[in-house]
Amino acid sequence: MPHQCIECGRTFPDGSKEMLSGCPDCGGNKFQFKPAGVMDSSEPDPTTSKSPTGSKSPTGSRSPTDSDPPTDPDPAPGFDSSSEADPERPSSDPEEPSSGPGRSPDTTPPPDPPASSDPPGSPAPTDGPDPAGSRPERAAGTADPDTTDPVEGDAERIDDEEPEDTAQASARSDVVSPDELDRATRETGSAATESGSVEPPASQPGVDELRDELNEQFESIKIVSPGQYELNLMELYDRQEYIISLQEDGRYVIEMPDAWGVTDE
Amino acid sequence: MGLLTSLRDSISRVTDGLFAADEPKRIGIYGPPNAGKTTLANRIARDWTGDAVGPESHIPHETRRARRKENVEIERNGRKVTIDIVDTPGVTTKVDYKEFLDHDMDKEDAVRRSREATEGVAEAMHWLREDVDGVIYVLDSTTDPFTQVNTMLIGIIESQDLPALILANKTDLPESDVQQIANAFPQHETIPLSALEGENMDEVYTKIAEYFG
Repeated sequence: MPHQCIECGRTFPDGSKEMLSGCPDCGGNKFQFKPAGVMDSSEPDPTTSKSPTGSKSPTGSRSPTDSDPPTDPDPAPGFDSSSEADPERPSSDPEEPSSGPGRSPDTTPPPDPPASSDPPGSPAPTDGPDPAGSRPERAAGTADPDTTDPVEGDAERIDDEEPEDTAQASARSDVVSPDELDRATRETGSAATESGSVEPPASQPGVDELRDELNEQFESIKIVSPGQYELNLMELYDRQEYIISLQEDGRYVIEMPDAWGVTDE
Repeated sequence: MGLLTSLRDSISRVTDGLFAADEPKRIGIYGPPNAGKTTLANRIARDWTGDAVGPESHIPHETRRARRKENVEIERNGRKVTIDIVDTPGVTTKVDYKEFLDHDMDKEDAVRRSREATEGVAEAMHWLREDVDGVIYVLDSTTDPFTQVNTMLIGIIESQDLPALILANKTDLPESDVQQIANAFPQHETIPLSALEGENMDEVYTKIAEYFG
């Protein structure tokens, strides 16, 4: 669980929107970032890139660029939602070093009791501009965002065996079902329409650009290493909440809309 | 019920209008790091209130928190304009502590400055969204204005329909190229100045009164 409330210790999966309105348990607004690989450590690795306000950890779930070249350079792997990209997804979980053969995504997600009760997926659709930004990636990278999402599927899907199996079966097959294709297309919008099929898109650079663009949208501040930051100005501008304090070792404080009396946009 | 609602709306509009007329416009001074934003803010504040806004420095990201100078009353051609000046941290897409190491700073201080500067950019972007009524965009006329930051910020400002005054600063330097700035943003008027030397401040004040009055 990459995020933890430093008041009560409650953890949140990376990409959780719950914490953006304060800790549901204690109301605290101070969180620390805990990459999945150092779950038990009280000091997260500051060199790990993270997205404090936002969505996805580049080391874990944001793997389209990682999986890009090896999968299939030609037919736009990130958007070829049928065969290659999907099985790669679960294996990119930082918890599991194993990748490639013998993958068993059903058992890959580490059981995490605190988050099992969380519904990280549920608040997302109503929360700010971020879901709009993160959904296309999930839809683009996975055939079925409801079943194989590496972030949301991390914990709460663990006991949901049936959809996982379905997703795997689907992922191993060559052709995506019309239903899934339709859903993925709807999720990604017009940008992915042409590449939503198994046919290669017109031009690879266009897809790469789009992927880069999408990746950029997921983070407002990327901590490259202590003292080195990359900022996504559009994301910072678009957010209602914003980071008011970055601290050492992955801690940060966000200002919440409630605190300044803004109810909606 | 409908009558009551519309009556309440009308009253609310009238009172809003009254308060709006009384309240000074909040003008954000934006731009990339080291463009001379604080120098300009101090120049304006000193000229009209006698006080400064904040310390100036040649080290980038000297301003890491937005600073405000309220009720700056500028008089131009018999007309008074009251504004609040918000001097914001320089906006950038990358902050690296290593760039501070050259300025006699140890690593710990440089890392802290870097962190604060990053928070400052987040704050500046937030202010742009929530809290400014107009923008003075300051550019260093000795550097190339065609940058991602400038394009993005000017785009945001335009999308917000905020009145924006573009200033080409540092005209006292020999390599200053005001035309380059004017060419970069032809849809806006570009005013040359040297905030440090006080050159062309008369025109700047006239334009401030015109744009934000």
